[in-house]
Amino acid sequence: MGKAAYKVKGGKMIRVQLMQRDGRIEWLKITGDFFLHPEDLIEEMERMLISSPIEEEGISKSIAALIKERKGTLVGVAPMDIARCVMMAGELDG
Amino acid sequence: MVEDWRLLDTGGNDAYYNMALDEAIATARSMGKVANTVRFFRWKPSAVSIGYFQGMEEEVDIAACKSMGVDYIRRVTGGGAVYHDYSGELTYGIMVDEAHNLVPKDILRSYDVLCSGLVVALGLLGIPAEFKPINDIVVAGRKISGNAQTRRMGVVHQHGTILREVDPDIMYSLLKVPSEKIRDKRIKSAKERVTSINGYLGREVGFEELKEALKDGFERALNIRFVEGRIAQYEQELAAQLRVKYASREWNFKR
Repeated sequence: MGKAAYKVKGGKMIRVQLMQRDGRIEWLKITGDFFLHPEDLIEEMERMLISSPIEEEGISKSIAALIKERKGTLVGVAPMDIARCVMMAGELDG
Repeated sequence: MVEDWRLLDTGGNDAYYNMALDEAIATARSMGKVANTVRFFRWKPSAVSIGYFQGMEEEVDIAACKSMGVDYIRRVTGGGAVYHDYSGELTYGIMVDEAHNLVPKDILRSYDVLCSGLVVALGLLGIPAEFKPINDIVVAGRKISGNAQTRRMGVVHQHGTILREVDPDIMYSLLKVPSEKIRDKRIKSAKERVTSINGYLGREVGFEELKEALKDGFERALNIRFVEGRIAQYEQELAAQLRVKYASREWNFKR
């Protein structure tokens, strides 16, 4: 399992735990001291990312699209920051 | 026109009841059963609360909490881990309609507005505090209050900590750090980054004096008038039900 932590400058901390198979996300958990409204969108985000290719721009776009679709608000970190932390964890798994 | 809000002082209770009552009040407000509310409370026994998105085992030294008789709980709000010391810290909750003209749509701006009650209160005590985005209040660059909000069912529910007294050694013995070396470094840096009312003023401000200042501060900053109220029966009953969730392993260890 890969684990990474990324503190956004002037923002909050993101931690990602991830297991991958053949370049795709098999399992992941996104934690940290950021804010996301509504809160349970995080579980949906994690489910959505399962089986996604570990590819920074694609992950960032999917997260942004999900938040927009659900009229959510992410505070203290941006979708690209989460994507970056996912990539960092991906590099450490395996 | 000055609007009447309810003021609740619910004293010291355990972590599970405290978070259950906060949610019960927000729910009661969403149903129009109670007025917009500010609540003061303390944590008995002392407790660590973590943000909704944090991992309990990542953030909290469970064994240390158990040995020190400290509760640990997941909040319904995001943000970071907080140590709520029974004798050092006061927590407030605000439950107000999301559509209220005091509440900006923009979440970042709404922290500034709702925190202004705390900033004015600290000013009344002689502490030149200021709001620091995203969700902190600082004095001379050092944190004295952290705040977190959620919005559900048309209600903004914000709660936060006000450090009357702080002991970073205890705080960091309960929160997880990667190694002892970093622990020492963190405690040293926390001592430089965090302050408290008593530490800043060099005198003892009691809980009653602090609550009076907060009451004045919120009234002035938000142009409201407090009516000291009671917990409604609906809130009591709902809090008793919700307490089961907040005391459950399923909730506290869900992330």
